[in-house]
Amino acid sequence: MTDDKDVLRDVWFGRIPTCFTLYQDEITEREAEPYYLLLPRISYLTLVTDKVKKHFQKVMRQEEVSEIWFEYEGTPLKWHYPIGLLFDLHASNTALPWSITVHFKNFPEKDLLHCHSKDVIEAHFMACIKEADALKHKSQVINEMQKKDHKQLWMGLQNDKFEQFWAINRKLMEYPPEDNGFRYIPFRIYQATTERPFIQKLFRPIASGGQLHTLGDLLKDVCPSAVTPEGDLRFFMHCTRCNVFPQNLSLRQRTSEESQKGRRN
Amino acid sequence: MAEAEEQQQPQPAAPQSGGRSDGGEEAAEGGAAAGAAEPGPTAAGSPGTEEPAGDAKKKIDVLLKAVGDTPIMKTKKWAVERTRTIQGLVDFIKKFLKLMASEQLFIYVNQSFAPSPDQEVGTLYECFGSDGKLVLHYCKTQAWG
Repeated sequence: MTDDKDVLRDVWFGRIPTCFTLYQDEITEREAEPYYLLLPRISYLTLVTDKVKKHFQKVMRQEEVSEIWFEYEGTPLKWHYPIGLLFDLHASNTALPWSITVHFKNFPEKDLLHCHSKDVIEAHFMACIKEADALKHKSQVINEMQKKDHKQLWMGLQNDKFEQFWAINRKLMEYPPEDNGFRYIPFRIYQATTERPFIQKLFRPIASGGQLHTLGDLLKDVCPSAVTPEGDLRFFMHCTRCNVFPQNLSLRQRTSEESQKGRRN
Repeated sequence: MAEAEEQQQPQPAAPQSGGRSDGGEEAAEGGAAAGAAEPGPTAAGSPGTEEPAGDAKKKIDVLLKAVGDTPIMKTKKWAVERTRTIQGLVDFIKKFLKLMASEQLFIYVNQSFAPSPDQEVGTLYECFGSDGKLVLHYCKTQAWG
């Protein structure tokens, strides 16, 4: 995995040009200009929008401001999903920049988790890392790390430091052939067309015959409606941490910490 | 797994299949705190609702273990709908233990990670269940970070 440095860098530095507009019913003391920002695909909305918040709070009275939340065409955006996933799921068919509406009132309790501080984001991120390692290495690698290594992963993400992040992450992506590599591939498949939050199941990287499983094998197994009888993909696969890729590449080459997602074309 | 209706439930559980609890540990419907405050999709399972067909219909067994000096649940084993979220389970445990809504409760899988509140127990069972059940540790303070 770590010899694919170009791919890793492309994934890390992926950006989505976004236009933030204040919700029309928010009460302001003067006109609120839209705010433009390049959002990192691999990060989280509440981690990278401090400037957005400051920008709109400047034109609002203190008492009118409570927890910020974001919405796209009426759908509240889950901050705990990676930004790239949110875009691919909700807005990839529309023209750029991505138009997000900013709210400071009427937090939708049924749809969104609260995010009162950066600590909440860090806790969520680390829980995802831990869950993935539970699947890959029975948590052995993450548990053997020191607290400062965990912190370095988080700081790498927070401060957009590729080298800092991957210095630690490469250990989590280690695939020792003598142990048959990852025990299970950590993946999640998101579809815009279903009510289900995502598909996540146990899936081994190696078939019983010893050959490497491919993405196509995975899809046929857990999401058969996504594959035609001829074996072609019915829809585009976007990888949160990768680019779109052909399904006959082995899963080991195209898997990263979080997940893959798909949507109906 | 046979299910029995738990007496102290504030509302009757969804239609039951069995009637008798197994030997020592009682198994009962774990869906008291119906889903009004739950983020994400939820089946809620109010009385009389038809259950969805297929795998989603089956309940999974959850074994709740207390950590540290957190109060121990009198009933530890529950049959829970697959689509029940972690938040739903937290609300239920808090009610059962008579904790205040404002008190924090952390839930851990494999004694290693805390799943997101909107994660469904069915998915966790698929990936981390063993011996036909999902073991979850709960704690009033952070146990495994």
